Amino acid sequence: MVAIASYPQTQLYPDIAKDIYLPFLAEIVEIRPMTALEKVFTIELPKGMSLGHRPGQFMEVSVFGVGEAPISISSSPSRSNGTFELCVRKVGDVTTALHSLKPGDKVGLRGPFGRGFPYENFRGKDLLFVPGGLGLAPLRSLINQVLDERAHYGRVIILYGARNPGELLFKEELKAWGERDDVELYVTVDRADETWTGNVGVVTTLFKYISIYPRNTVGITCGPPVMYRFVLMEFFAKGISEGNIYLSLERRMKCGVGKCGHCQINNVYACQSGPVFSYREIKGLEEAL
Amino acid sequence: MSLAILSKPAFRDFVARLLADYRVAGPVAHNGSFIFDEIRDPSELHMDYPTTLLPPKKFLLPIREVLFRFKRQDGGVLQAPPETPPTVLLGVHTCDLHAIQLLDTVFSSGHYDIHYVNRRKKTLIVSIECLGPCDEHSFCKSMGTLTADEGYDLHLTDLGDQYAVDVGTQAGKELLEKYASAKPADKEDVQRLNAVISAKWPRFSYRLDFDVSELPSVLELGMKSPLWEELGQRCLACAACTNVCPTCFCFDVKDEVELNLVDGQRVRQWDSCQLDEFATVAGGHNFRASRALRQRHRFMRKGKYILDAHKHLGCVGCGRCARACIVDITPVGVFNELYRQQQAGS
Amino acid sequence: MSANGKPKIAFFDFTSCEGCQLTVIDSLQDHPELLNAVEIVQFREAMSEKGEDYQIAFIEGSCTRQSDEARLKAIREQADIVVALGACAHLAGVNALKSLHPLEEVRKYVYGDKWDWYETYDARPIEAVIPVDFAIPGCPIDRNEFIAVVKALLLGKKPPIPDYPVCVECRLKENICMYTKGKVCLGPVTRAGCGAICPTYGSSCEACRGFISNPNQDSIKDVLAEAGLSVEEIINIYTMFTTYQVREKLLQKG
Repeated sequence: MVAIASYPQTQLYPDIAKDIYLPFLAEIVEIRPMTALEKVFTIELPKGMSLGHRPGQFMEVSVFGVGEAPISISSSPSRSNGTFELCVRKVGDVTTALHSLKPGDKVGLRGPFGRGFPYENFRGKDLLFVPGGLGLAPLRSLINQVLDERAHYGRVIILYGARNPGELLFKEELKAWGERDDVELYVTVDRADETWTGNVGVVTTLFKYISIYPRNTVGITCGPPVMYRFVLMEFFAKGISEGNIYLSLERRMKCGVGKCGHCQINNVYACQSGPVFSYREIKGLEEAL
Repeated sequence: MSLAILSKPAFRDFVARLLADYRVAGPVAHNGSFIFDEIRDPSELHMDYPTTLLPPKKFLLPIREVLFRFKRQDGGVLQAPPETPPTVLLGVHTCDLHAIQLLDTVFSSGHYDIHYVNRRKKTLIVSIECLGPCDEHSFCKSMGTLTADEGYDLHLTDLGDQYAVDVGTQAGKELLEKYASAKPADKEDVQRLNAVISAKWPRFSYRLDFDVSELPSVLELGMKSPLWEELGQRCLACAACTNVCPTCFCFDVKDEVELNLVDGQRVRQWDSCQLDEFATVAGGHNFRASRALRQRHRFMRKGKYILDAHKHLGCVGCGRCARACIVDITPVGVFNELYRQQQAGS
Repeated sequence: MSANGKPKIAFFDFTSCEGCQLTVIDSLQDHPELLNAVEIVQFREAMSEKGEDYQIAFIEGSCTRQSDEARLKAIREQADIVVALGACAHLAGVNALKSLHPLEEVRKYVYGDKWDWYETYDARPIEAVIPVDFAIPGCPIDRNEFIAVVKALLLGKKPPIPDYPVCVECRLKENICMYTKGKVCLGPVTRAGCGAICPTYGSSCEACRGFISNPNQDSIKDVLAEAGLSVEEIINIYTMFTTYQVREKLLQKG
């Protein structure tokens, strides 16, 4: 059976430590529309507390009366000054209800849950981020963490793909990343429109633009289920080792605490042992990819 | 801890006295079968029942329970759920007792599930030794659940006109002292108990073709067996197997609101890995879309995953899923077939 | 919205027994507070007033006449949300059984020598005529499910219509399985939400709520055959409420 490494663990937000299913309330302080389907919510924790999360972790977000949904934390711990951000795609009941909320409204929260990225172990290495679509939301947390302690890392390469230019997330940040000398950013869309002058094709078509030193590179990817196999093939083709590949996997994480069973991948609960895994950890799990 | 003797009339008095202070549940007749239900009178009990439709799990992890209540105004005002009354569960068979020990481990380890644990703490278990197999589907002897050394507060063995009562916990001792007029067992009683117990074992047969200690490896080696595809073709994905299982603990959580659209509650209810929506995410992707893989997942959990995680087997041999399956998918059939395939292949 | 902020709802009937609307009236008796949440502007079965400014339309009954189509389209034009109420509207239900026979024969059988006075065509669910947002299945609908759907619509949620089989509810009610009793039952392939009411009262499920979205058709047919049903009996039991859907599927296959 697969051994899952244990990383430094974060604490659950104190309010829910007694009853793991009881959310605490927090206020939405800002909502930024991002695309037709996505909005970014800035949420302020009560009493100026910090969430204490790791990049790659997720929250269970409640709109009372509608339900609860797992949403990855999109802001980096380095920028969490009593607030954090969630990039939410309107796709189900809860996220639709979230989209109808306004600044000043409250949501219920549980978390942070799961095992985030072991980014302390990435120090000194080159990082190759490959987010696809909404997969940028959790990876943005790690990217900004890395950029805020930039000197600790080698190259930062980002290959980002979206279906069309209108679905690109965090466009202002993409622009800022692109303007930095110490970030190598490549962006592609599956289908271009008249405004688009960049690369056209799926995210894997960007690999041809980069060359890396594989022994010192960590490959990090998150995206729709169909994407992983193809990105993995590119990572392998570049020579990145299995233990240096990290994936954040989507599952139906309902309880967040390893009980309800919905997120199970073979014997592994994604909400507890994931959603971030190294490829070495999951390659023996048939149901993972 | 110690052994006491309770005559059958004294047992009825014991139950009658419990009813004054406890919610008492036990096996009762229901539509020609048996269920665990709350009783109001000792005469409702059928302590010699073969098996029940649903396991006694429903008193610890209810089919549906309120996790908390809320008011939708101001983003949510949360209120605690109603409390469970102190409960005595009577007539629990040893297979179900083993299942409850697993549930205890699951809900008290890792993140502590206060809803289960509070209910469990308020529940006293009076189990009963099985003296014959329920029917052709039970395979408790193979699973090592034909008796139990722990997990009960009091454990009964039917000696004919009286019960031998094994005291398992301090709480059980106090319950017996306070509510029953039992006498300590003498040498003769112990001899009768020994005779009854030694007579029971031959009535049960081993139904697995291999020792249960091999079950995890039989399953692991069977991951790629063509058997799963065959089960998937037959399986109706009706979830009867998991709904009647004493060890299944997967659940769903949903919000309900009153028509005033203000008051509501978050409800937890049993769910099943056999249903299409179980591993489906909001975007529509189903991570376990085939019935074959869902059946495999169920059996892997029963015989391997749960054992690895919680040190208890996820199957206790009660046979309820086998009785419930319309298309005859049974654990004995599956485990033995995997074993047979491996023997034939090696 | 009406001036009081409550959404306006209306009920309409086409070819049906009106039993689903009776169930609505019944659920109003259990939940009179529903009238605090919505304003009913049209409900022929229950009131004589008539308003045309509704946002939510509940439609009972199948479309069985060419001339029904214009009325359905007008409802669709007005309503923001159209809900099919019950098996006739949702599936065409038992009304579609007539399409198993030549139409002229059916008309003569029903109307005798005046058969050509009455307009009719093959019964169809309303979604065959207009887009339908949601369906409340059942013959008749379940009163609790009706209330649950109204609440969901008011909250902007997708109505909680289960997509799992009746067996789930039946087992949790600790009913004895109909197959254990030696009877056949369509519970394993039929959409739950009714609380397994028929098996609970001793009758087999006849799939009035339609099938779940991914039923194991081959396996249930084997089960019915093993129970001793002939092919014709299997078709009869299987198509009591789903003749329209089964025919459509066969027509698609050619």
